[in-house]
Amino acid sequence: MTSSYTQREILETLRMAELEHFDVRTVTMGISLLDCAHEDPREAARRVYEKLTRHAAALPRTVGEVADSFGIRVANRRIAVSPVALVATRPEPESYLAIAREIDRAAAEMGFDFVGGYSALVHAGFTRADEALLASVPAALSATARLCSSVNAGSSRTGLNMDAVLKVARLLKETAYLTREQGSIGCAKFVVFANAVEDNPFMAGAFHGVGLPEVVIHVGVSGPGVVCEAIRRAGPCDLRELAEVVKRASFKITRVGELIGREVASRLQLPFGVVDLSLAPTPVLGDSVGEVLEAMGLERTGACGSTAALALLTDAVKKGGAMATSAVGGLSGAFIPVSEDAAMIAAVEEGVLSLEKLEAMTSVCSVGLDMVAVPGDTPEETLAGFIADELMIGVVNHKTTAVRVIPAHGKRVGEKVSFGGLLGDAPVQALRTLSCSGFVRRGGQIPAPVTALRN
Amino acid sequence: MDREALAYRISEILLNRLRPEPPRAVVEAVVADLVRLLERQPAGPEPAAPPPRLAVLTVLGRNRKGIVHAFSEVLAEHGVDIVDINQTLVHGNFAMMMVVDPSGADVDLAGLKALLKPRAEALGVGVFLQYEDLLRAVNRV
Repeated sequence: MTSSYTQREILETLRMAELEHFDVRTVTMGISLLDCAHEDPREAARRVYEKLTRHAAALPRTVGEVADSFGIRVANRRIAVSPVALVATRPEPESYLAIAREIDRAAAEMGFDFVGGYSALVHAGFTRADEALLASVPAALSATARLCSSVNAGSSRTGLNMDAVLKVARLLKETAYLTREQGSIGCAKFVVFANAVEDNPFMAGAFHGVGLPEVVIHVGVSGPGVVCEAIRRAGPCDLRELAEVVKRASFKITRVGELIGREVASRLQLPFGVVDLSLAPTPVLGDSVGEVLEAMGLERTGACGSTAALALLTDAVKKGGAMATSAVGGLSGAFIPVSEDAAMIAAVEEGVLSLEKLEAMTSVCSVGLDMVAVPGDTPEETLAGFIADELMIGVVNHKTTAVRVIPAHGKRVGEKVSFGGLLGDAPVQALRTLSCSGFVRRGGQIPAPVTALRN
Repeated sequence: MDREALAYRISEILLNRLRPEPPRAVVEAVVADLVRLLERQPAGPEPAAPPPRLAVLTVLGRNRKGIVHAFSEVLAEHGVDIVDINQTLVHGNFAMMMVVDPSGADVDLAGLKALLKPRAEALGVGVFLQYEDLLRAVNRV
């Protein structure tokens, strides 16, 4: 009989779903906005609103029904749109601001918490539209609640656009100021990338790449809790066995994600895109990547051995996930956002996880310096140097890296900014105060590494 | 091949193979019979009906009388077929796992869940109902 599952299999699957904080982190609908272009920005914005509501309105209910029929929670439903700077219209900041408002209105009416894609891809220079959109980001992020914005400032093929990094540092300071009443929350909805991926379902960096179909369904899985429990149950095994334990857990998590994603796509009669195999923490206790590292044997995240442990974890997650689905995509690895991870917050507050150690860890995780708060009086050049360091790790190593940093207006080291919900609380961390102005102010492009010449 | 082309092809074969050459009228009559016969046959094997989508019903809690009855009664009332049933007792804790076929039921899966829930609450046990695909996805390579 096809249905002969053992009692153990059935009970283990139930335990994963019911007890170990397992959820599918996000089902994200990618929607192309390229056909919304119009020389009159009001008409372009109207088309954007119309297209979003036409395609995405059925998503929340369908996801709810699918989740219920499998007994699996789906934490978020989101939308990723084409990089808005590619929606051709009159290249002025006000034009893009009008589109930002309509995206936010559509999201609010349909009950989405975040829409990603208020983005510009400027790794090798700016178009007039890119410049207009970047100039509008602070106003857009402070005037909307659900819009997420991103910039791709570098790639392994083109090197790093330092002018873009400087613009980003400036817009972050301005956004922090404009949203100062809410802990500079605008900056939590903005991320700067090197090697940004086109099919990332996670916020704040999601956008719908130009090589993708008109509309597509992606899934982002999560499950640090499941991995953590598996490691605890495995007991004092050696590291090869530990990797095996993580791989098995990752396999199961990924299979569930793919099942849910394909079912949603099929009910909506849309193509299925990718499963992003990322361990994504939330501030809830027991749903933390830091806790996984600690279950592996670190006293605290940030201890010596943290980078090695994270490397093992990220690699094993990928291997288990790659066996489970042939539709791997997005960022796929482990996220280490400080404010969204209870164990990371604790490590920072105890003074054992510095930004430098975090930077080292990002060279082996899937994203980068994520949800870190720094003092509000950090000069924009220092912020630019901080971002450039992280992005060059990605450029040189052919991987995605990103920075989501909050220069918390009016806050000093040791204070805390609270965003609430999934974004959590970020302790303000010390950033080196030595000047890098002479370097970053040179501007221009850091050339691509020689390893870019692969053809 | 349409009907006319098929008839033409069969006639050709008969005329080529049969020696001495049979009268054309006889060949045409034989072919007409054959074509009628073929038309009464289904075009190919009947497409197999997709296998029913099964679901797994799990009940967990302290053992007490009437648990199996309470849930199987709801299933029977609403036309849900029990494909497989398995129960176990560990230190007085009861676990029952049923594989069920809800395809002939008069309610959908969400409706069935809503019907089972009050029974579980009355007995003080937990009930879970999920499509079987989940178990296959997680436990089978």
